[in-house]
Amino acid sequence: MAATPAAVEIELPTRTPLARRGLLPAAIIAWVALVSGGTIALARYKAQPGPAAVSPPAWPTDSVAPRRDGLHTLVMLAHPRCPCTMASLAELERLISRVDGRAIASIVFIRPAGSGDEWRESDLWRRAQQIPGLRLIDDPGGVEAKRFGAYTSGHVLLYGPDGHLRFSGGITAARGHEGESAGEARILALIGGDEAAGDAPVFGCELDDPSPTGAPRFEPEAGGPRSSPGAGEP
Amino acid sequence: MSGRDGASPTDRADRHFRDALDANYRRTSRLFLALMIVQWIFAIVVALLWSPYAWVGKVRSIHVHVYAAVVLGGAISSLPIFLTLTRPAAAVTRMVVAAAQSLWSGLLVHLTGGRIETHFHVFVSLAFLAFYRDWKILVPATVVTASDHLMRGIFWPESVYGTMTAEWWRFLEHVFWVAFEDFVLVLACVRGVAETRELASRQAETEAMTAREREKSVALEAANEELSASRDALAQLAEVGELAASIGHDLRNPLGAVRNAATYVAKRGRDPELPKGALATDARFNACLGIMEKELETCSRIIADLLDFARWRKPDLHACPLGPLVDDAIALTPPRANVRLENEVPAELPVPMLDKDQFRQVLINLIQNGSEAIPGDRDGIVRVSASGGDDAPFLVSISDNGVGMADTRKIFQPLFTTKTKGTGLGLAIVAGMVTRHGGRIRVESETGKGSTFHIELPQAQADAAPAS
Repeated sequence: MAATPAAVEIELPTRTPLARRGLLPAAIIAWVALVSGGTIALARYKAQPGPAAVSPPAWPTDSVAPRRDGLHTLVMLAHPRCPCTMASLAELERLISRVDGRAIASIVFIRPAGSGDEWRESDLWRRAQQIPGLRLIDDPGGVEAKRFGAYTSGHVLLYGPDGHLRFSGGITAARGHEGESAGEARILALIGGDEAAGDAPVFGCELDDPSPTGAPRFEPEAGGPRSSPGAGEP
Repeated sequence: MSGRDGASPTDRADRHFRDALDANYRRTSRLFLALMIVQWIFAIVVALLWSPYAWVGKVRSIHVHVYAAVVLGGAISSLPIFLTLTRPAAAVTRMVVAAAQSLWSGLLVHLTGGRIETHFHVFVSLAFLAFYRDWKILVPATVVTASDHLMRGIFWPESVYGTMTAEWWRFLEHVFWVAFEDFVLVLACVRGVAETRELASRQAETEAMTAREREKSVALEAANEELSASRDALAQLAEVGELAASIGHDLRNPLGAVRNAATYVAKRGRDPELPKGALATDARFNACLGIMEKELETCSRIIADLLDFARWRKPDLHACPLGPLVDDAIALTPPRANVRLENEVPAELPVPMLDKDQFRQVLINLIQNGSEAIPGDRDGIVRVSASGGDDAPFLVSISDNGVGMADTRKIFQPLFTTKTKGTGLGLAIVAGMVTRHGGRIRVESETGKGSTFHIELPQAQADAAPAS
């Protein structure tokens, strides 16, 4: 092997007019600026969390989501069409597999007012059905979402065995981005026995159109939320 | 040693080395040209399938990923595509391609939702970039990857490390693995360049050896030619020696006869008692004079043949109508009472290009040969005919109905003769002259029925022939 790297520059026999006029350096600078700007803009978008939520500090007794005394309860609020939530769902699946029976989990799919059953026909719904131990809840009009104070798809709530809120927030590091996150780490710590409640930003689509006042305007529909078992759920 | 183009082996090796690198740069640039286009299309397809819309309740809008794939992806690919098309071997092209490929890794990671599998794109891209065998381009690729991670680590730490409290230096953990692959690829690049240089040196050495072999071959060929010439000269000397012996033998008989006749003539001429005017009536004296004249004529013919054979010259070609030339040859051929000589050359025959004197000699020799082949006890005929010209070669035939020959294999060799009084040079002279005209001669003969000599002259000789 040679002692020093031997890269060789090829001298072009003639320089292109573009280079001769000094346009090539300018083009490279413009290109760098363009792709840097685009990359930064994309990163900013991905790192933009949804609005902060105020979730009930105690388990809402009128919720249709299952809860069992002595166990932690995990609830994810999701927009069934939001592509970013696929990453949140993947992280939820990892969470469920790691808590190993110490928590029961459900996912509430919001169905905006005026939408039919076909709203549920989505990749997210089908993907969620395949996750063992996860109960799926259809939420016409977003009653459950309103009940839990969630605005953003992928919002996860953890209630302790005593029914008190321990965690409220997202479990992805960015919008539609799989991987470890602060929220996921906090939930695992809490279920593992840590007492310090926590929160994290939520990244995803907005669950419903904001009202002129900025608050979600979920409109409950007749019949209310319905739950259905996920894979492995009795 | 220098090659034929004057370059030293070192210069040649350098040139081959640069050519090989240049070819590799161009080849790899073509690969990345295709890759830049394919990645762009792939990104758009992924965005459309994976995240076509963003939702706010029931309201949907085109997802930012789609815009990113189309606009940002197009922007990333644009300059590399332009440069790989216009400056495929330039260093700046490689640098831009490397940076763009790292940017593509980042964009695809975004578009596929940060799937861990997509991160392999970073490592595969570095491996692809190593195809250039230029370790320096791994620098911009790594810098772009590192700066992407560093920037996101500082401003949006969660998007990179999964924790809001990441230390700024944690990007080094990610960069470490990239740097590790860089290290391996730098080694591969350096080794690749070294091997390319070695191959170039070998190629130059091989070329130098080939050039030396070629020179040896040329020298050997020259030596062979010299040897062949020497051998020919020796053969010619041997031939001359043989010829001299033959000529000596052929000349001895007529000269012996001349000497005997001259002895008698001298004796009678010096006789003081011989009455004046007696010699004119001395039959033996006059017979001796006749013998001397005839035998000296024979000697003269032998010498003329010898000169014709020995001092050949290149034909001086001119347009020469064949019919009149055959008439001349017939007129100059010693007549025999029982032999008829006929010129059957058609008047409309195109005019060939001939050396008039040489070809007349050819015709005389062949006509005389045919004439002498006819026994004196019967009539015979020698015919000269011709055909061809225009688009075909000329074919001149001299046929006789004489005794014919049993074996014609050696008749064009010098000193070979079937006649009792021939020198064996006549047909050799004919063959030499015909060959020097660019033609061929062959013979058909059958014992008791006669012989026919066919002379074929190239048609090209006649093409440029203006009538004269």
